[in-house]
Amino acid sequence: MIRAARRYAPFALAGLHAVTQYRSTIVLSAITAAAATALQVFLWREVYVGGSAPAGLPFVHLTSYIVLAQILGLLHTNRIDELIAGEVYRGDIAVSLVRPVNYALSCLAVNLPTAAVSAVLAGVPVLAGFSLFASLPVPTAANLALFAVAVLLSVALAFQINFLVGLAAFVTTNTWGIRTIKNALVAFLAGQVIPLALFPADVVTLLRLLPFQGLIDSPLRLLLGGYGDWADAGRILAVQAGWVVLLTGVMSLAWRRSLRKVEVLGG
Amino acid sequence: MIVAEHVSKHFKRHRREPGLRGSLRTMFSSQYDLVRAVDDVSFEVPAGVKIAYIGANGAGKSTTIKLLTGIMRPTTGQVRVDGLDPHRRRVEVAHRIGVVFGQRSQLWWDLPVLDSFRVLRHIYEVPRAVYDRNMRLFRDRLDLGALGNTPVRQLSLGQRMRAEIAASLLHDPAVLFLDEPTIGLDLVLKQAVRDLINHVNAELGTTVMLTSHDIGDITGICDQALVVDRGAIVHQGTMRELLRSVDTRAVTFEYAAGSVTEAEALQIIAAELPDVRAIPAESGRIRVEYPVERWSARQVIAVLLNRFDLTDVLVPDADLETLLRRIYAGSPAEPVSVGDGA
Amino acid sequence: MSVSTARRYARLTTVLCGVSLHRLTAYRMDFLIGAASFVIRIACQIALISVIFQYVPSLGGWTQQQALFLLGFSLLPRGLDRLFTDQLWILAWQLVRTGDFFRYMIRPVNPFYSLLSERFLYPDGFGELATGIAIVVTAAGAMDLDLTLVQWLLFLPLVLCGALIHTFIKAFLASLSFWMTSSLNVMVAVNQLSEFTAYPLNLYHPVLRGLLTWVLPFAFTAYIPARYLLTGDTGLLLWTLPVTALTVLLGYGTFRLGIRRYEMPGS
Ligand SMILES: Nc1ncnc2c1ncn2[C@@H]1O[C@H](COP(=O)(O)OP(=O)(O)O)[C@@H](O)[C@H]1O
Ligand SMILES: [Mg+2]
Repeated sequence: MIRAARRYAPFALAGLHAVTQYRSTIVLSAITAAAATALQVFLWREVYVGGSAPAGLPFVHLTSYIVLAQILGLLHTNRIDELIAGEVYRGDIAVSLVRPVNYALSCLAVNLPTAAVSAVLAGVPVLAGFSLFASLPVPTAANLALFAVAVLLSVALAFQINFLVGLAAFVTTNTWGIRTIKNALVAFLAGQVIPLALFPADVVTLLRLLPFQGLIDSPLRLLLGGYGDWADAGRILAVQAGWVVLLTGVMSLAWRRSLRKVEVLGG
Repeated sequence: MIVAEHVSKHFKRHRREPGLRGSLRTMFSSQYDLVRAVDDVSFEVPAGVKIAYIGANGAGKSTTIKLLTGIMRPTTGQVRVDGLDPHRRRVEVAHRIGVVFGQRSQLWWDLPVLDSFRVLRHIYEVPRAVYDRNMRLFRDRLDLGALGNTPVRQLSLGQRMRAEIAASLLHDPAVLFLDEPTIGLDLVLKQAVRDLINHVNAELGTTVMLTSHDIGDITGICDQALVVDRGAIVHQGTMRELLRSVDTRAVTFEYAAGSVTEAEALQIIAAELPDVRAIPAESGRIRVEYPVERWSARQVIAVLLNRFDLTDVLVPDADLETLLRRIYAGSPAEPVSVGDGA
Repeated sequence: MSVSTARRYARLTTVLCGVSLHRLTAYRMDFLIGAASFVIRIACQIALISVIFQYVPSLGGWTQQQALFLLGFSLLPRGLDRLFTDQLWILAWQLVRTGDFFRYMIRPVNPFYSLLSERFLYPDGFGELATGIAIVVTAAGAMDLDLTLVQWLLFLPLVLCGALIHTFIKAFLASLSFWMTSSLNVMVAVNQLSEFTAYPLNLYHPVLRGLLTWVLPFAFTAYIPARYLLTGDTGLLLWTLPVTALTVLLGYGTFRLGIRRYEMPGS
């Protein structure tokens, strides 16, 4: 474990060095994230005020949900799909393969600290800003603990989804299109565009079986107490964890197939 | 054709401190180093000349070419190409120059090579006759036809460089700038590229400015040389003058095995030829490097004939390689000074 | 710009579009993915509208059909813009950092044109335009929308102005990469913001409305023209031309300034 940590630490450091060079970018992305959040808050408030208030998500939690969904979104933004697609496109992937480290793990090591730093640097001010304007309910300690676990799982899921999308570069050169599809679908199915609880009941049941809800809906449901009893909370985590395990299998399978393609194409 | 007057180009580079703490600190500071990539350089290259721009890595060669091609503006001083300021009159100058950066591509990454050329023809407004003539030339000399319908991004480095060089010549430029153009080419293709450039120079009087670490490129193409060191010009003249500036030459010899030991041989030379350096070379040979103002090749060989049972002597031309090695070795790390503030 | 240069650029554009179309047929899969990516994204937005109107009969005074018309109309300038300016994303992302921007500096055409020309008619814009037209036609049909002659005459110019606003806001943001080496994050964030103008702007807090009207004038690409077409309300419509002109000047001016300080790294 320590050996592994030592081996991947350089990648993580390299990733962090990269963030520190883009300070202005972080500031700007905080500002625009805040604006995007505000727009969404206004949109949904209008809905709550102007009509029959939806039952799935109480009004007191609406703002918290939208703000935190945005911050989780930042945490899940990693460029792994782009990175892999770029390497495949330019043929650099062959170089990455000869390094004596696991490719997927090194990708994770490069990107995780970056995402974490930008989520913290951009997210904390946004959260603080919104707590000034709207009173955000304080979560209980138990919910906070559940949330922490769910966030870890959500980061793993985001990484896995992006990795798989990156591998699509072996099949098509329009990785931009693939990524657009992914971004739209993920934001939608995870509950970033519309809180999942606001969908019609049947749709909610369906969406909560997919891996994407594990990115935003699950952690926030746990944090905001949107679950029934402890067993229900356990089920939410179990669905997330189940998908992480399943996707790990899919990843290694897809990776092995792609490798065969590299060998055939000669990189 | 190409004129540089007191040209300098300085870059500010944010100081990066090592380690994570350093990089976090860098994030909140605005300290920078000033890199004097080109420092008060003046030179003039007449039309039709093929000039080699020689200097160690980081000497400022690529930067000079970027200034001459209008990609960047000099910090101070002036450059002119065909009488025009290449940055201010960029479009006019671009019509008259061709550029190749060995590590970069100017082709359309997703287009097949031939499509790229068709687009270039329109961009440069190349007359049909010129286009056909040049395409025929490239097909004959660079085997460009073989690249056919492969998108550029799928070409090997060597194939791509062929296409890049052809692309830079498509519009019959008056000046051709080549920054390490033969990277990735095999020996045969390198020769083909040299022949092509010489051909174009002979036919159209194209002025050529070349940087390369390949001695074959320099001697095979250029008739003049411009040597830069730490951002400043240290020599300009014909290739022959440059070689004449060599102040040390060498004789390598081989003697009958067993007649003397190597240590004895070195001692003998040191005694008979003061100021000379004798170095054991491969397979029992000895290389004698002598300063030209003290000794002549005749004198050195006379001593060797006199004292050793010679089986072979080699007196090479004053060679560029020795000279370049000296120029490169004399160049210390990059010239920087410290700045502070925005 | 003289007539002969204009003719020259027109001819060049034809040639480049021809080459692009040729490429589209070669990469049919890419084309389909690109077009599909927008259909999917827009499907998500339509879903958002239907979920919202499940809870409210009208949103800020807009009926569901009107909201759909607004959404569809917002896609027209956006799609038109994307057909010709996708390369700005690449500029924001990496052209400055990798040094590849030099290409546009050594060609005897305007560098901005040269930059854009590299991705004329990239597939993704087609999907956006087609979906936009389909939604506008459907929604207008459902409402029995009757345009006056003036409205008919203004339709295309309004779309064109909207496209110019999109293009030159993007040009401005992408040019920031000359100072920041990469401005992709800002562009992504602003792009995300711009998508909110597909919804009735009067929902939002006046500060945000002001931001989207006068700072990032996306309101002139959708909300203002769509409202005029739906209700005949000219409101801020007269400002469209000056705002477009100013945006073009600012975006293009920033690009020119960026070029002046461009420092090609490497080799
Ligand atoms: N865009 C740039 N920003 C900062 N420093 C640069 C840039 N381009 C070149 N340099 C620095 O300027 C010096 C000269 O570089 P270059 O002209 O590429 O040298 P050469 O081509 O002779 O090897 C080097 O120290 C290099 O690091
Ligand atoms: Mg160089």
